[in-house]
Amino acid sequence: MVTKDEIMKIAILSKLSVGEDEIDKLTEDMGEIISFAYTINKAADIESDFDNINNLSNVLREDEVVPSMEREQILKNAKDSDDGCFMVKNIMK
Amino acid sequence: MNESKIAQLHKGLVNKEFSCMELTEKYIEAINKDNEALNAYVTVTPETAVETARKVDEKIAGGKEIGLLEGIPMTLKDNISTNGIRTTCCSKILEDYTPIYDATVWDILKKQNAILLGKTNMDEFAMGSSCENSYFGGAKNPHDLGHVAGGSSCGVASAVGGNIAVYGLGSDTGGSIRQPASFCGIVGMKPTYGAVSRFGLIAYASSLDQIGPITTSVEDTAIVFDAIAQYDKMDSTSQGRKGAPVCDSLKNDIKGMKIGIAKEYFEGIRDDVRKSVEDAIKVYQTLGAEIVYFDLPSLKYALPVYYIIACAEASSNLGRYDGIRYGYKAVDYKDVNDMVKKTRSTGFGEEVKRRILLGTYVLSSGYYDAYYKKAQNLRGKIVQDFRNVFESCDVILAPTVPMTAFENGHAVSDPVETYQTDICTVPVNICGLPAVSVPCGFDSDGLPIGMQLIGNSFEEARILNAAWQYENAADKYKAAGFGVKY
Repeated sequence: MVTKDEIMKIAILSKLSVGEDEIDKLTEDMGEIISFAYTINKAADIESDFDNINNLSNVLREDEVVPSMEREQILKNAKDSDDGCFMVKNIMK
Repeated sequence: MNESKIAQLHKGLVNKEFSCMELTEKYIEAINKDNEALNAYVTVTPETAVETARKVDEKIAGGKEIGLLEGIPMTLKDNISTNGIRTTCCSKILEDYTPIYDATVWDILKKQNAILLGKTNMDEFAMGSSCENSYFGGAKNPHDLGHVAGGSSCGVASAVGGNIAVYGLGSDTGGSIRQPASFCGIVGMKPTYGAVSRFGLIAYASSLDQIGPITTSVEDTAIVFDAIAQYDKMDSTSQGRKGAPVCDSLKNDIKGMKIGIAKEYFEGIRDDVRKSVEDAIKVYQTLGAEIVYFDLPSLKYALPVYYIIACAEASSNLGRYDGIRYGYKAVDYKDVNDMVKKTRSTGFGEEVKRRILLGTYVLSSGYYDAYYKKAQNLRGKIVQDFRNVFESCDVILAPTVPMTAFENGHAVSDPVETYQTDICTVPVNICGLPAVSVPCGFDSDGLPIGMQLIGNSFEEARILNAAWQYENAADKYKAAGFGVKY
């Protein structure tokens, strides 16, 4: 059974915060979903793991410089930008 | 034999029975009238629609030939990127996001002068089966406004079923095209993985996602599929359509076609749905098809395998929403980490957060082997089992959904119980196979019942041929799409 502590740990990894008022219900729901997911362990393994659907293989191309999107365009969707850069708070003191 | 809607409208345009502007305005008026009740569109684009209509009319007036999809009013699910037109995934986190490039499917259709009427509703990030996870509220079923249109491509199905779009493109990760098509009594196809480019489709689970058509007839689905199934160098898994256009073989005789039935698909199915699909089997017998019964024991693991893989991929794909480069950004925060956390916690809805958490859990150290690795192993087993089935049959026939459309606000609060409703649709995504849902009956309340025809990889032509023959023989269940029932 999944515990509150485990859910809190997963939330940190997911960069999500879980409020005190949500944790009980969330732990219960997640417990149910995770037990449901665990049922696959009743099945026997097959020899080779799944790779991809249509037997695709990597196709490599030449590393050529091609025109990309305009910087100004890209920054249009950012809430904060300055001097052609995305703005965030200081990450170093 | 009735012509499909697209074919009829095309002929009307060519013969100058009506202008493209008249047709476009008729649909814009219909949206103005019915969208409030259906909540199908989240963004309408009448200006671009009218502008394109003018171009098409000039072309026709100049005596130039027009393509089948040229001048036909349509819609796109709101996770398909449209340059300069807001694309929200029906999430608060992308509420004001405007892409700066077009998805390949839209690029193709735009070049053919398709008339985009607007962008349609969906469960947030395509996660859900009732549309009730949409930030903009759910889309309603045109057959009965007290019921949901399904999910996650609910808006496209609601618009096409309610005749406020001729056709639309949705996306299907675990049934999101076929289930709403089934609920709304219309046709929807999830193509083979790789047949249609995913470039510009906002990702949910990249190894399962596929774009496909939602229409009012099998022929229209074939027409749209032929147009969009093209190789695209922008999608590393793209292969395009293999073989001749599917429209060429639509009306072929199906005498001797082997139609497979797996009993596992019928377990836990509501009686009226089972009965309708069994009646369809009889129709196929009268058409000369051979019915083949087989077992597919690994099918019982398809649902947990799907949820593990889909959520694992979602937790990774949705890692990009940090409030920095696009979308919603929290306003009050201490530092960058706090900003990202607050942005995600308030920007994502409950179901999206639940799936991110599940995905992170199954990928985290200590749990990876028992969940993600095991699910990938079983995915291989399910793929193998389907491959074996296709050695002895041409198509598989199964219900699309175990029931008919849920009542509004009636989506089950228990998440696992809700997931169970995807039981018939997810195996196809796990295996990358094509499947089309076609209407095959009504329940006692008059809500549509759908069945799906599943084919081997890149055999869209075969399933659409079988679907067309059924549609033609069982005329009374023919897709509706002729307005809203108030």
